[in-house]
Amino acid sequence: MTPSLHSGGPLVLFEDVHLTLASLAGPVNILSGVSLAVEPGETVAVLGPSGSGKSSLLMVMAGLERASRGRVRVAGEDLGGLDEDSLARLRRRRIGIVFQAFHLIPTMTALENVAMPLELAGSRDAFGRAEEGLAAVGLEGRLAHYPGQLSGGEQQRVAIARAFVAGPDLLLADEPTGNLDATTGRLVIDCLFAERARHGTTLILVTHDSSLAERCAREIRLSDGRIVEDRRAAPGEAGARRAR
Amino acid sequence: MSADSPLGRVRLALRLARRELRGGVAGFRVLLFCLFLGVGAIAAIGSLDRTAEGGITADAKAILGGDAEARLLYRPADAAAARFLAASGRLSRVVALRAMARRQDGKAQSLIELKAVDATYPLYGKVTLSPGMPLAAALARHPQPDPPPHAGKGREGVGGLYGAVVEGAVLDRLGLKLGDRIEIGGEAFVLRARIEREPDQSFGGLIFGPSVIISDKALAGTGLIAPGALVAYKYRLRLPQGDAAGWIATARARFPEAGWQLRTAADAAPALRRLLARVALYLRLVGLTALLVGGVGIANAVRSHLAQQTPTIAALKCLGAENRLILGAYLAQVLALAAAAIAAALACGAFLTWAALPFLDRLLPIPLAPAFYPGALAEAALLGLLTTLAFALWPLAGIRGVPAAALFRDTVDPARRQVPLWAAAATAAAALGLAALVVLGTGDRRAALYFVAGLAAAFVLFAAAGRLVVAAARHLPRPRRPALRLAIANLSRPGAPTVGVVTSLGIGLSVLIAIALIEGNIARVVEERLPREAPAYFFIDIQPSQLAGFEEIVRRIPGARWREVPMLRARITRLNGVPASEAKVAPGVRWALDSDRGLTYAARLPHGSTLAAGKWWPPDYKGPPLVSFAADLAHGMGLKIGDTISVNLLGREITARVANLRHIEWARLGINFVLVFAPGTLEPAPQTHLAVVYLPAAGEARLVREVGAHFPNVSAIGVREALAAVARVLATIGIAVRLAALVTVIAGTLVLGGAVAAGHRRRVYDAVVLKVLGATRGAVARAFLFEQAILGLLVAAVASLFGSFAGWVVVTRLMEADWVFLPAPLAMTAALATLLALSFGFVGTWAALGAKPAPYLRNG
Repeated sequence: MTPSLHSGGPLVLFEDVHLTLASLAGPVNILSGVSLAVEPGETVAVLGPSGSGKSSLLMVMAGLERASRGRVRVAGEDLGGLDEDSLARLRRRRIGIVFQAFHLIPTMTALENVAMPLELAGSRDAFGRAEEGLAAVGLEGRLAHYPGQLSGGEQQRVAIARAFVAGPDLLLADEPTGNLDATTGRLVIDCLFAERARHGTTLILVTHDSSLAERCAREIRLSDGRIVEDRRAAPGEAGARRAR
Repeated sequence: MSADSPLGRVRLALRLARRELRGGVAGFRVLLFCLFLGVGAIAAIGSLDRTAEGGITADAKAILGGDAEARLLYRPADAAAARFLAASGRLSRVVALRAMARRQDGKAQSLIELKAVDATYPLYGKVTLSPGMPLAAALARHPQPDPPPHAGKGREGVGGLYGAVVEGAVLDRLGLKLGDRIEIGGEAFVLRARIEREPDQSFGGLIFGPSVIISDKALAGTGLIAPGALVAYKYRLRLPQGDAAGWIATARARFPEAGWQLRTAADAAPALRRLLARVALYLRLVGLTALLVGGVGIANAVRSHLAQQTPTIAALKCLGAENRLILGAYLAQVLALAAAAIAAALACGAFLTWAALPFLDRLLPIPLAPAFYPGALAEAALLGLLTTLAFALWPLAGIRGVPAAALFRDTVDPARRQVPLWAAAATAAAALGLAALVVLGTGDRRAALYFVAGLAAAFVLFAAAGRLVVAAARHLPRPRRPALRLAIANLSRPGAPTVGVVTSLGIGLSVLIAIALIEGNIARVVEERLPREAPAYFFIDIQPSQLAGFEEIVRRIPGARWREVPMLRARITRLNGVPASEAKVAPGVRWALDSDRGLTYAARLPHGSTLAAGKWWPPDYKGPPLVSFAADLAHGMGLKIGDTISVNLLGREITARVANLRHIEWARLGINFVLVFAPGTLEPAPQTHLAVVYLPAAGEARLVREVGAHFPNVSAIGVREALAAVARVLATIGIAVRLAALVTVIAGTLVLGGAVAAGHRRRVYDAVVLKVLGATRGAVARAFLFEQAILGLLVAAVASLFGSFAGWVVVTRLMEADWVFLPAPLAMTAALATLLALSFGFVGTWAALGAKPAPYLRNG
């Protein structure tokens, strides 16, 4: 397990966070006063109907969207004070993201895709570590394959390997099984949780799937950009639910 | 070296670029083709220009006929000067004049450029004859009579005749073969060989008459060397040390009043150089337009490629890549592709130069050797690189505006797409560098500045027109007709290529229209107006004693009218006392000081001139020398009324005060002289008369025949023939210009094709949705065609205005000619180009219409 670089306090801290986006029809309120603290090592499922602001919450956490109001701290950094490139560097070191549509780079092989965050971080052993990462998700035989040559499940496993390879403190997953069939989705989720456990990473997972949410220790429910429920499972409950 | 160091980041950017390029270059096809075409055209034009210039320079001594030349008009060098010349090095004297060559039966005659040469001619190079024989043997008087002629009678009882060697055109015009006889003046010659290559051939010969070379020993017998006859004595020298400039300085110092024109090989072929420079300039500017029109294609290609790459860019940002790194990777990609296109273009340009050599060799009177001109290629490459940067940096800067959050959403907020200051500055710097390179690399800076300003104005104008269309489409009330409504909506939808297409197609079409109008104006003068207004013949070298007889001949021909003036030739030596070589004059009028000018004297304002300043002298003027000068030349030389001009006439310097300035209408080809003296100065000088005869075509042959029979020393210059020769030269230049212009249109069409291809997916999707909603194929096709038609008509309208304006500037300002608006070529060019553009749009639409809805609906 890779030790967390974060020391002390919540890994993610939202204080009265608002997000308003411009649209042709006028400003739209996406998040309306979200306050939230996520401790290192937690697994959190974010649930809610379409348009409730789940994905936007992840985007603000990842520094991909700037809060219109309120304070956002991730891994001890106040995101409001960072410029775009500093945010990119923060993601490179501390945050991994898994998307519903995989978003692998089509012109790069599986190995190159996984090595990318390490290359960006200037790691000397990027390809060796990427190979280990791919082996960990069972794709050691697919190193030289391009995304177009992989199945959906394999692509998502490559994306998981890519998200974990730099040893992030925080992993954000946006509907990671949304584009997969049920069986493949289960395999991918097993893979995701196994990797999380191996790295000790904090996981925040957006999903519509309540059975998937049950595998997390905490569930947050959003509606109209507000947190309407924040429930922690009793000790052992998440594991027990998983066993069911 | 750390991987996080600046160099490490550069290497990473290059690595990313290399991986991105694995995806293929399909999105960059337009960029590749546009650059290839533009750079290839400029490389070929630059290489050809330097090949011709190199041909002249490499062969300059042969073209001039020596290391240096002293040229005298009317008279040979006096004894002292002749001694000096003979002592200076190996000397060759050539006597050159225009004359008439006739069949002995008088049935045909031709104006010729006659050259009488001595035994040392040529000092450099070689006269190549067919059949092969030494020149001296061909020109010699044979001790035995030549074999009996095929036609006409020889002069029996005088022994052998001198030989003449002639250009093939002389044989064609006179209908003679080698071995036949011709008469030049009062002497008969045997045609012994055809000239295949003449090292010092006069470029004027292309227009005024083919070459004939005879021995100088035979010249006296022709009787052409009469007082005042337009004869040039050219003394060519092969200097022992080769120091031509030093020799000229000595000659000037020792014989300040000699009145000769001294030239070194460096000044060889000035008229040809001027013509080639003009043609090269014209081609170069058209080639540059093609490159810059292609620039819009580059910008569109980069923009559309980046739009397709949005997920990759966003993914890289999510993974922690900084903007600079991503920008570096895409810039490296664009530059790598540009480098490949430029390299291919340079290779192709160099190959074209090589392939065009045999064609050029026939056109130009200079030997051309294939050579590699790295300077021309480097300039083309640099222009290509700067064009790439000027047009690619702006869209590349849009990478910064690609939100990583795009991966979570389908839409990208257009409001975020702002171009940062650095990108605006870098684009401006590349554009300025491009403009500077164009201006500094072009011989005629004024024309280059006009070009840069015109092109900048065109970009602004067409971009503004494009934006106006978008704004109008956005704000106009939507028509009820669905096809029209969709067409108008498409023009203004986010990401519509309207501005780029209007700009590139508009500039390409403007260039075509400008060229069509310029060529139309030139053709109108050469092919219509001149034959109608110009005289049929010029007769030169009429001796004063022959005037009455000449008038008698003309009077006998029905419908003929004529005018004659005394004619002398002299060189302007001083302006306000300052030697002409040191006077500060505009480059455009330097030609008037570089060689002899015709001059005359008149009591009254000559026909075809109008007074621009000052007063005409009284008809009975008696007093110090006065001169009337051409107003445009006076302006370029900074001369005004009361200033003085000195000319050297037969070794005597005459200084006259400028009494008035005239506007001269050269285009009528009447009798016009730059310098017209007041009566009382030039009358005593030996002189001949110049006559112009206007007459119907039916009488032409008789006139020339009778003048030739009575006055063999008088040369007839047929305007029709000369105009036909000019038209032939212009046609050849026209082919080159049209080829270059075609490249511009291809570039413009490529840009349009690129825009159509980039919008193809959108078009297919629109077509599918419309068909699902029940629209027929016809309705969908109409919607797309309305869109193309609105764009096409707008582009044609604005390009017609701008192209006409550009043509007007070139004709009236650069060529200083009269302008006539020609609606037919304009309408034809605009219609053809618009149709071409529309058909491209139609091909795209047709492909979209054929798409099956189901797969798009399932995947969309």
